[in-house]
Amino acid sequence: MNRRRWTALGVLAVATAALLMVAPVIAHHSSAPFYDSTKTVEAQGTVTRFLFKNPHSFLYFDADENGKKVEWQIELGAAGGLTRTGWTPDTLKPGTPIKASGRPSRAEGSHGMCCAKITRPDGTPIVSGGRVTDEQQPPR
Amino acid sequence: MRNFTRRATGRTWGWAAVAVMAIALSPSRPRIQAQSPAQTPPAGAARPNAIPDLAGIWDGTTRARPVNSERIPWGKDNFPELNERALAYQKVFDEALSPKYDCQPASSPAIQYDPYSMEVTQWPDRVLLRYEKDDQLRTVWLDGRKPTIYDWSIQGFSVGKYENGALLVDTDHFVFDITGFDDYNGIPSSQLKKVHERYWREGTELKVTVTVEDEMFLKKPASYTARWLPQRPGYKLDAWDCDPEAARAAVKMMPPKYKE
Repeated sequence: MNRRRWTALGVLAVATAALLMVAPVIAHHSSAPFYDSTKTVEAQGTVTRFLFKNPHSFLYFDADENGKKVEWQIELGAAGGLTRTGWTPDTLKPGTPIKASGRPSRAEGSHGMCCAKITRPDGTPIVSGGRVTDEQQPPR
Repeated sequence: MRNFTRRATGRTWGWAAVAVMAIALSPSRPRIQAQSPAQTPPAGAARPNAIPDLAGIWDGTTRARPVNSERIPWGKDNFPELNERALAYQKVFDEALSPKYDCQPASSPAIQYDPYSMEVTQWPDRVLLRYEKDDQLRTVWLDGRKPTIYDWSIQGFSVGKYENGALLVDTDHFVFDITGFDDYNGIPSSQLKKVHERYWREGTELKVTVTVEDEMFLKKPASYTARWLPQRPGYKLDAWDCDPEAARAAVKMMPPKYKE
């Protein structure tokens, strides 16, 4: 394989990883009343539950906040859309350590985010392979 | 010679009778789903009064058009002129009440623009519009039937006809829907809502113009036009299976409009 092909494969691999790291935004309802697009929040913890459903999936994880356990809720795309980009209900099993950054929820005292980038705590992609179809599925 | 002529004439009439019977008895089979839209000839090749080939699975995702939002597909140029009743309703509307958070499906004129796929099946007496979003199936009757008292529903009662290479659909008999206009602007729709759709092919694309009228809330009809692209070969619509917990989970992330 020549250098150009290796380069193309590398670019493809990086693009694939990026697709799997960045969760789709949402379309079932407007994100504006729920999440503040002008801010970014970051949290790190351990997955407790992955609700892989329609109309939107939700990822729950526990994080430590000043010595206190806090449950975070990340809103993701529809299960159908996630499936087509390589996700499965087992992609994020309970106990998986993650780091997430995204738009924070607006409700007072809530710990939610949307449009999140989810990686391992060291920043590497959680899914390095997986099935990615010929086209990126849309936000859902 | 006379006998020959008589025999020949008799044979001609006989064959003619067979041909007429064959035509009369042959079922007019619809073209159903066997081919994807991408494999069908472009619309330009169709005769002006021919039935357009709309069958197939169509991609309405961001590949085909911008995703829906507060200003899409209803933007500053086509946003409906709301009457006083609608404006008052909009002012007090609480997003948390929206039935979509309990898995109630979207209806016209919103469901056509949801960023998912749609399958069109053309039969001689009806056109079936199946939406991936919300597992919804609309039937557009082409046989001239009238609605009964049992035909009021979220999706209404649809009749249609082919005209000038397009499918024209008229839908009424909608039940009241507290967010029946779209998913974003807190505008309801009433039993007076009527939706008119025109579907046609432009090359490999499927296009629609959706017009909505509702005297209860809109001062005048409003329209948008959208397109679908052919889905990739082998694509199958997913079951939606809306999960009530997942549908409502986001609501607690939104500041409540009313404290109690």
